[in-house]
Amino acid sequence: MTQEVSVEERAVPLRTEKRLAEDSFLTDDFLRQLINVGEVDILVGLPTHNNAKTVGPIVQSIQAGILRDFPRERAAIINADGGSRDGTPELVTGISIDDVRRTANLYTLRTLHSISTQYANTPASGVALRTILSAAELLRAKACVLISPESTNIKPEWLSKLLRPIYNEGFDLVTPTYRRHKFEGLLITNLLYPMIRALYGTRIREPYATELGFSGRLGGQFLGQNNWDDGTGQTGLELRLTLAAISGGCRICQSFLGEKDHVERRAADLIPALRQTVGTLFSALEADFPVWSAVAGSQPVPSNGPESEVGLEPLRINRKRLREMFSTGVAELASVFQSILSPSTLAELQRIAGLDEDDLRYPAELWVRTVYEFAVSYQKSVINRDHIIQALAPLFRGRAYTFLVENRDTSTNDVEKNIESLCLEFERLKPYLLEMWNGRK
Amino acid sequence: MPVKEDLLWYKDAIIYQVHVRTFYDSNGDGIGDFQGLEQKLDYLQELGISAIWLMPFFPSPLRDDGYDIADYYSVHSSYGTLDDFRKFLKAAHDRGIRVIIEMVLNHTSDQHPWFQESRSSQDNPRRDWYVWSDTDTRYKGARIIFLDTEMSNWAWDPISKSYYWHRFFSHQPDLNYDNPAVRQEMWNVMKFWLEMGVDAFRLDAVPYLVEREGTSCENLPETHEILKDLRRQLDKEFPGRMLLAEANQWPADLRPYFGDGDEFHMAFHFPLMPRMFMGVKLEDRKPITEILQQTPEIPPSCQWCLFLRNHDELTLEMVKDLERDYMYDAYAQNKTMRINLGIRRRLAPLLDSDRRRIELMNGILMSLPGTPIIYYGDEIGMGDNINLGDRNGVRTPMQWSGGWNGGFSGADPESLYAPLILNPVYGYQAVNVLSQRRSEHSLLSWMRRIIAVRRSTGVFGKGSIEFLYPANHRVLAYVRQLGKETVLAVNNLSSAAQAVELDLRTYKGNILIEMFGKNIFPRVGELPYLLTMGPYQFYWFRLRRI
Repeated sequence: MTQEVSVEERAVPLRTEKRLAEDSFLTDDFLRQLINVGEVDILVGLPTHNNAKTVGPIVQSIQAGILRDFPRERAAIINADGGSRDGTPELVTGISIDDVRRTANLYTLRTLHSISTQYANTPASGVALRTILSAAELLRAKACVLISPESTNIKPEWLSKLLRPIYNEGFDLVTPTYRRHKFEGLLITNLLYPMIRALYGTRIREPYATELGFSGRLGGQFLGQNNWDDGTGQTGLELRLTLAAISGGCRICQSFLGEKDHVERRAADLIPALRQTVGTLFSALEADFPVWSAVAGSQPVPSNGPESEVGLEPLRINRKRLREMFSTGVAELASVFQSILSPSTLAELQRIAGLDEDDLRYPAELWVRTVYEFAVSYQKSVINRDHIIQALAPLFRGRAYTFLVENRDTSTNDVEKNIESLCLEFERLKPYLLEMWNGRK
Repeated sequence: MPVKEDLLWYKDAIIYQVHVRTFYDSNGDGIGDFQGLEQKLDYLQELGISAIWLMPFFPSPLRDDGYDIADYYSVHSSYGTLDDFRKFLKAAHDRGIRVIIEMVLNHTSDQHPWFQESRSSQDNPRRDWYVWSDTDTRYKGARIIFLDTEMSNWAWDPISKSYYWHRFFSHQPDLNYDNPAVRQEMWNVMKFWLEMGVDAFRLDAVPYLVEREGTSCENLPETHEILKDLRRQLDKEFPGRMLLAEANQWPADLRPYFGDGDEFHMAFHFPLMPRMFMGVKLEDRKPITEILQQTPEIPPSCQWCLFLRNHDELTLEMVKDLERDYMYDAYAQNKTMRINLGIRRRLAPLLDSDRRRIELMNGILMSLPGTPIIYYGDEIGMGDNINLGDRNGVRTPMQWSGGWNGGFSGADPESLYAPLILNPVYGYQAVNVLSQRRSEHSLLSWMRRIIAVRRSTGVFGKGSIEFLYPANHRVLAYVRQLGKETVLAVNNLSSAAQAVELDLRTYKGNILIEMFGKNIFPRVGELPYLLTMGPYQFYWFRLRRI
């Protein structure tokens, strides 16, 4: 479906969706819509699946952002939908730009296209990204931005913050930084950020972002290089894109977007999250070995605004349950850990898992060794790779518990110091990873 | 082929705008004149235009290119005599060409005897023919139009020791239309020319006739009443003559100038023109469709006047700030190209002398609802001289040949009223009528063809319009319809080839006949009608059910 979002303009009725060639990835109808758009300067990718409750205001913010900051540029919103049954695509294409223009007193010189395509009947973030990247390539987009359909607190200025560095300053990737509560995003602060920083030498605070800007050039390269038929390629692709940018020597910067809405996650969400993030990272390490093995230390990337901002307001977290899941996990998965971890690491883990609530701490050095040993085991496929990722879950909970305890009463600066300290530990122990990776340990 | 009796002649007209000074110098004094213009009527007839719009030719100190009139009942001596004008008028009519002249109602020159009398004393009978004041604080709501040169709408007169009102240059005092004697005298002026046979007036600066405190002094009801009164007298005494409004206003503000078909016959559509340039540069139909959507319906006997360029700057008054900035960046990066709120350039240089874009713009001009105006020299792609002051850069001598003074005059080149364009791209040796007449594929020959095609049907002048909105926003498409005649116009605003699908199901069964080559295109069916178009290409199709 499509709608050219302009003054009372409506596209001609569409033909029945039908693929011209069986091996074509994009539908014939989607291609027809892209032909009508032609070429764009700015492309906004919006992957959705049953987001009717939130997507309306998000699209309005996107439109306002384009009208306000890119009134001269050719722009298109591409909605890649994974088979919504709640009318999400109709909402995306049905929102009139006139409403935005009236309420915000904004004006655009050009037609703003809003296109929706259903890539499958079930959601697959990888296919959604592939659809958006394909559209960007066919439309020769200069600067692209991905927006999460869950970012209900999106502000119109997010677009400018994520796109301007690419469009005007020649950057290839813009990752966001947010104001987050100190206990939010623990997987990022305790694993992804420090590990990617240590291995790739680039300090990207939000390496797995649901909002990010990228150049058409980077998108095109990634589209061409990524093995889209590989099952692992179907999740965590935003992280892969970031890693591809680092490996490719692209110019990267960060932009501060402000408050990030907290999205409630269930405990059961951790394993999929680990697959998308840690699984993706471990998987990338193999191909990127020549890159990261040659890196020593780390460098900051240019930042527009603060690199991070930490909220300290009280937050209720069930630490006890985290500790229990850690201790239980260590006990129940002992045989699995024997295949993954070194004896000394496992012994130390088992020791701390038996400690009282007050004494239990998962120290930084042990955590880093654990993660590195998991990475090597993943590379060597000592057991099924997905089992390796799953086995990390209880250990991460133990580390999260420790982070919560250690930072319970800390100030913003102290939280940052602790994160920095963990990062340095990841950097310090990198030779340990390399020795294991090379089979010398 | 004398002019035909047709009360609505202006709806099908193609108007050629020219200043007598610029066209042809018959007596070798370096200034074009009426005898010269008469000699060139065959050229205009050959071009196919049906009306000439003459810029002011009255006696004048020429401080505003003749819009500062010092005598409404005569011809400036540089251009000839009243008798020369009469002969020209007859010769034009004999060729089926009507003549539209300027009438500056709002103001006179400060050299006009009326003003000289008015300023001479407070007791002079003509004192109230102009707007005088002891202070310069009245009518604060009125904007200043010539921002580059004027600081106020009031000017101090040291002779009468009071201020006089002027909406334009300070040497152009506004007439006082609250004075019945002024209104009567201006009708007398118009009658003088109408009795001579003039077909129409372009009434200059009409929104500003009346001033009222607490208003913008523009578009006031009292002004409309005065104009309606002029129209009543015109219809009564000279049926078939026409009034054309010059009012640089938004369409909604312009609409009242048509009244109920009892005020102006025609008015310029100022906001459309910059948006046509914008649409082509943006490669997006939005600016054009948007302004036409905002354009109100007008009475059936009325008509819009459309133009690409004229003797003034490409005015950007009727655009938003964002659009103005874009237009400056796109068309006038060199700041000397800008004047007031506009761009002082001709059509060809604005379009980089790109033949495809020039054709496209003319194609749109001639197919949208309205009467098109061609500015002299644009039919051969003449250039401009931005180094000349004010808007004189677009008022240089017509380029007739590659010979002496471009065939414009036998005078010494130094004595021409303005220097010819000399540069290698637009100079008279490269761009001139003589050489273009010799080529079937010149711009001039193409202009003749498109004018002929346009005149082959009444649908462009009088037909309705319905926009199609194909999903490809780079394509501007519309259907013009008059009675049983239907024409489809499709314009590719893009510099690249485009595919476009048009929803023509309403016209299912019709065959498309391309109006220039008369070739047949496939019949319209149930499916979207697919057209592929080259860069800046346009099509006019006649729809025939055969």
